[in-house]
Amino acid sequence: MASSQPLIQVKNLDLYFGSFHALKNVSVDFRAGELVGLVGDNGAGKTTLIRVLCGLHAPTSGEVYFDGARVTTFHPKLAIDFGIETIQQSVGLCDNLSIARNFYLGREPVKRILGIPFLDFRVMRDMSAKVIRQFGLRDNVSVDDEVERLSGGERQSVKIGRAVEFKNRVVIMDEPTNHLSVREREHVNELAVQLKEQGLLVIYITHDIFQVHKLADRIVIMENGEVVKDARTTEMSAEALEEVIRHGGRVVEKRSAK
Amino acid sequence: MKKLANTQGFSAVIGVAVMLIAFTVIDFDGWWTANTIASVLQFASILGILAMGQALVIMTGEIDLSVGSVYGLAGVAFVTLGGTLGVPAGVLAALLIAAAVGLLQGLAVVRGGVPSMIVTLGGLFTARGIIYVWTGGSVRAFPEEARNYWLTKLLGGNLFGVDAPILWMLTVLGVLSVVMLKMRFGNRLLATGGGLASAQSRGVRTGRIKIAAFVLSALLAGFAAIVTLSDDPQTHVTLGELMELEAIAAAVIGGCLLSGGRGSLLGAVLGALIIVSFRYELIALGAPSAWYQTFVGIVLIIAVIANQNLARWAMQKT
Repeated sequence: MASSQPLIQVKNLDLYFGSFHALKNVSVDFRAGELVGLVGDNGAGKTTLIRVLCGLHAPTSGEVYFDGARVTTFHPKLAIDFGIETIQQSVGLCDNLSIARNFYLGREPVKRILGIPFLDFRVMRDMSAKVIRQFGLRDNVSVDDEVERLSGGERQSVKIGRAVEFKNRVVIMDEPTNHLSVREREHVNELAVQLKEQGLLVIYITHDIFQVHKLADRIVIMENGEVVKDARTTEMSAEALEEVIRHGGRVVEKRSAK
Repeated sequence: MKKLANTQGFSAVIGVAVMLIAFTVIDFDGWWTANTIASVLQFASILGILAMGQALVIMTGEIDLSVGSVYGLAGVAFVTLGGTLGVPAGVLAALLIAAAVGLLQGLAVVRGGVPSMIVTLGGLFTARGIIYVWTGGSVRAFPEEARNYWLTKLLGGNLFGVDAPILWMLTVLGVLSVVMLKMRFGNRLLATGGGLASAQSRGVRTGRIKIAAFVLSALLAGFAAIVTLSDDPQTHVTLGELMELEAIAAAVIGGCLLSGGRGSLLGAVLGALIIVSFRYELIALGAPSAWYQTFVGIVLIIAVIANQNLARWAMQKT
């Protein structure tokens, strides 16, 4: 199902924060219609890599291609324009704004009165309510309520709803099931598969190799800023992959190289 | 009730009501006269225009300490250049100078990464210094011809029997409120102050928003000076001194959180009304004028506590 040409291609990417070498010569391809699990311990570089892809960090050196074209400027707005939607743990929603205002933040629909663009609150309310209700928002929460009042799961619902609503090509989920109940977690995972089946590229970041192995087509393991394993889930079991993470990727790689 | 209590600036409405009741009880005859009300409203309008600009900056999570000096600098530019080049050129020059100061400060904060408190403190001293150098400490005034020019009358005179500054303040309040509540800019400005990283992750160009807020704040300070001086066109080197602190106090009394993301333009205007009313009434009651500052300080602290608790209390009741 996945197409042959990579949608996102990362080549020999290095990123330094001052003297800290956060990403080391990372090369990895992502294809449309693929669900890729990006796995590794804290500080492995998963989130840093993702922050490059969604335009928050520019790489120190190396190349990133989107749909075959080299990306030269890194800005969140550009990533959004490419159709890359990121669902992150701690950012994405402004507590002081209503759900409807958050849902459309950065691409608010407008209706023109005498040529002046005013926010189209009817569209903002109706559409955000329609989408978010599917993802487990309580009935007594209104889309006019501030995000401050929402639970962790409801916040994820808003972000995932937003990813579904806008016609995206890439959805990056950064630990999407943290803070969620068991049922909400299943729902989010089903959703990730649905997005993939619609032909989107889904990059799913998690610590939990067993959870993502069930969903993903491919697993990419990172450690200390490097990609240490890139394997199809049909080729390697979750247990074998867990061994790679547990014993450190490079040790296992060296053994298999002998 | 819930929706009202949720609105920033709710406690400023209560504050104005309490204040008016108090003044009515204490000094009915002195307070409720056409003269008193007219003067209070005029000065409150001018401070209100500054306070709205301040509120915009505070809502982005920054602060602008320079507005008093920008007010003074724009005022000097308006009177000096308006007298020689004509009133329209004076207005234009004053606004351009104010906007330039705002732009430079915004760039220093956003691109230079310097805290706005430092940048605008620098702006406060720099602009004040320029006023001293420019005027040489002398008083500037409009010639008779400029005083009677139609634009001067329009900006500072009397329109339909109402002092022009009041109408200008209401116009600014109306336009900016629509921009803040009903347009993209307002949504993104509040997002910038309420969750900078989140706003950036949605592609909001938060740097531009902040720069725009600094420019608007400086422009409004300049405009307030033009309106003031159109009514009484002479300047002195201390013009606008300490007005930055009154503007900040007005914005905070009006419900702006210094951490950003929350605030109200109407609240800022009401905050200005409270400050000016206290000053006027204390003087009218014969209190030493120095007490005014003490009162503003006390009102400020009470207002912040009220802002935190009143909304919560009102929401629990409903």
